Amino acid sequence: MKNERKRTFLLITIPILALFVCFNTIPLIRGVIYSFTNFKGFGSYDWVGFRNYIDLFSDGRVGKSYLFTFKLAVVTTVVVNVLSLVLALALNSKIRAKSFFRGAYFLPNILGALVVGYIFNYFFTYILPAFGAMIGSDAMSSSILSNPDSAWIGIMVVCSWQAIAMNTIIYISGLQTVPEDVYEAGGLDGATGWKQFRYLTFPLIIPFFSINMVLCVKNFLMVFDQIMALTKGGPAQSTESISYLIYNNGMSGGQFGFQSANAVIFFLVIVTVSVAQMKFTGKKEEQL
Amino acid sequence: MKGNAIGHIGISLCCLAAAAGIQGCGASGNNGKTEIEIVQYKPEAAGYFEMLEQEFNATHDNIQLKVSSPNDAMTILKTRFIREDYPDIIGIGGDINYSYFVDAEILADVSDYAGLQQIKQAYRDIDEALELVPTEGEYAVPYVANAAGVLYNKDMFAEHGWEIPQNWSEFTALCGEIQSEGILPFYFGFKDTWTCLAPWNAMAVSLAPADVTKQVNRGETTFAKEYREVSEKYLDLLQYAVDDPFAYGYNDACTAFARGEAAMYPIGSYAIPQILSVNPDLNIDSFVMPANDDAAKNTLNSGIDLQFCVMADCENKEAAYEVLDFLYEEENIQQYIDAQIAIPCKEGDFVLSPMLDGMTGHIAEGRMTDYQDHYYPSEMAVDAQIQTFLLQKDVDAFLQKFDTDWLRYNRDIIRLVQEYERTHGN
Repeated sequence: MKNERKRTFLLITIPILALFVCFNTIPLIRGVIYSFTNFKGFGSYDWVGFRNYIDLFSDGRVGKSYLFTFKLAVVTTVVVNVLSLVLALALNSKIRAKSFFRGAYFLPNILGALVVGYIFNYFFTYILPAFGAMIGSDAMSSSILSNPDSAWIGIMVVCSWQAIAMNTIIYISGLQTVPEDVYEAGGLDGATGWKQFRYLTFPLIIPFFSINMVLCVKNFLMVFDQIMALTKGGPAQSTESISYLIYNNGMSGGQFGFQSANAVIFFLVIVTVSVAQMKFTGKKEEQL
Repeated sequence: MKGNAIGHIGISLCCLAAAAGIQGCGASGNNGKTEIEIVQYKPEAAGYFEMLEQEFNATHDNIQLKVSSPNDAMTILKTRFIREDYPDIIGIGGDINYSYFVDAEILADVSDYAGLQQIKQAYRDIDEALELVPTEGEYAVPYVANAAGVLYNKDMFAEHGWEIPQNWSEFTALCGEIQSEGILPFYFGFKDTWTCLAPWNAMAVSLAPADVTKQVNRGETTFAKEYREVSEKYLDLLQYAVDDPFAYGYNDACTAFARGEAAMYPIGSYAIPQILSVNPDLNIDSFVMPANDDAAKNTLNSGIDLQFCVMADCENKEAAYEVLDFLYEEENIQQYIDAQIAIPCKEGDFVLSPMLDGMTGHIAEGRMTDYQDHYYPSEMAVDAQIQTFLLQKDVDAFLQKFDTDWLRYNRDIIRLVQEYERTHGN
C-alpha cells in the first residue's frame, strides 16, 4: 500500500520533471557546450576551448557591466527594503482607508516593466528637466539619463518604484504574524516606539526580511526590462547590465559563444550570492 | 491501478507537449500551394509589403506569400537561425550581418536568377566587397539604396538666403551664421546610439579610404591614422548642435527637426518618412556632407538599404524567384521609393523624390561610397564607442581603443583573411 502511494507520487512528478529537463536542464547544458565555441548564432563554428572564459576576464565591457549591475543591485535592494518596510509599518497600523492604500501602493507591481520604463523615460527626458529649469537648478535641468554618471540613478528609481509594491505586501504579511500579546508584554517592560521595532518586531519578521533580500538581489542582478526601456545600455555603455549584455551581444551582436560563457559565469555568481545570503540571514532568525 | 492511470495521464501529457512542440516547428497546412515566407527588416515599410503580399496572393494561385516586417528583425532572424528555423527569403541591409550570413553559408547562390542582370553593377560590386573573403557566386539581389548626408529645411534656407556649402570651411561658416541668427543649426538624437553613426559615416567616406577596414585587417594602416580627421571634425560639429544631444532619441530628433526647431539634421534619407509623419508639409531637401576641404573629394555616403537573399534552406527556389520577379517589377519599386524616399538599385526610368535633389548629381555620376560601418563587427558596438567619445571628447583615447578593440573583435575574420591569402597566393 505504501509502495503504491510512493509510486503515485513518483508518477505525478515525472511529467513535471520531464518538462523541467526539456526546457531548463537541456538548454542549460547546451549553453555550457556553446560557451566553448566561437558560435555566432548561425552557421558553422569551431571549438575554441577556454578562450571565451579567458577573454571574459580581460574584457573591459564585461567587467564594467558586472560593476554596474552589482552597484545597482546593492543600492536598489537597500532603498527598496527600507522604503517598503516603512510603508508596511504605516499600512499595518490603524489608519483610515487602509485597504485602499494597500491597493494603491500595490498598483505599480501589476504594470508591465516596459510600460513603466517608457513613461519614466518621458518623465526624465522632458518633465524633470523642465521642472529643474523652472526652479533654477543647473544639475536638474538636463536629463539624468543622458549623463553617464547619473543614468544609473534613473534606472534605480524606476526599479525601486516598481519593486517596493511586492516587498511591502510581503512585509505586511510578516507584520501580521507578530502576535499582539508580544507587544503587550514588551510594553510592560518599556519597549515602545523604536525600541519596540528594534527588539520585538524586526527579529520576528527576519524570515520575511531574508526572503525579500534574496528576491531583491536576484531580481536586480538580472535587471533587463528597465534598461531596455530607459537607456538601452547607454550613454557611453554606462548602464549595461549583465543580462542586457548577454542578450544584446549574444543575439544581435553575433557573440553567442562568448556570451554563453558569460551566462555560465553569471549563473554561478547568482547561485553563490543567493546561497550565501540564505546562510547569513538564516542564522539570525528568531523563533517564538 | 490508480497510480497507473495517473501515470498514463502523465505520459500522454508529455506526448502532447512534445507533439505540440514538433508541430510548431514543422510546416503548417498549405492546401497544395507552395508557401514562401519573407522576413524583411524595415518596419517602416510594413504597410508597403502588406499591400504587395495581398496583391501577389490575389494574382498567383500556385504560391502563398507571407511577408512579416517585425521590429528589431535582425535579432528575431538570428534567434530563429539559432533554432535552425529559416524563412525562404530574407530582406536585409548590405551590412556586416550579410557578410556573416555569406560566411556561414546559409544563403543560396542566386547568380542564376535572371533579374540580377538588371541590377546596377555598382550595387552588385558593393555586395561583392562585403564578403569577408571573396566567395564564388552572388548571394543577394539589391533592392533599394539610401544616402546619408545632411537634411535641411528648405524654406528656412530660402528665407535667410543661406547657400548649400560645398566644402568643410563653407559648412562651418554656414553653421556659425545660422547660430548667430539665433537658430539651432543641428539636432541630434544621440540617445539612440546608432544615430551617432550617421554623421560619422557621412564624413568618413570623404576623409578615409573606402576600404580602410580591409587595409587594417591586412595590417597596412591603423584607425588612429585614418580616422583622426573624422573624429576631430565630428567634435567641431557638436558645438553647433542642440544642448545635451545625448538626452534625445531618434524620434525626438526627427520630431524637433520636423517642427522647424533646427535648420539641419545630418541623417540618412531613411529618416524622411519619419519626419514627414510629424509634419507632412515640411519642405525637406538634402545635400552631401561636405567633410573634405577639397569639394572634389566629397563623395556621397550611399549603401544598400534593402536587398533580398534566398536562404540555402529554401525548398522551392523557382517559387522564390517568382516572388522576387514580382517584387522587382518596376511599378512596385517605384511605389517603394516614393513611400520611403529611397534610391532604386535596378536599372530603368525611375522618378526620384525631390527631397533627394541635392544628391542626384552625385548619384548620377556614381560618386558614391558605401557606409564604413557596414564593415564594423556588430559586437564591437562602434556606435556606443562613438557616443562615449562624443561625451568624453578625447580623440586619442577613442582611436586607441578603436584600434585595440578592432583587433580583438576581428581576430577570427583576420585569421580567415590571412588563411585565404595564403592559400590563394596573394
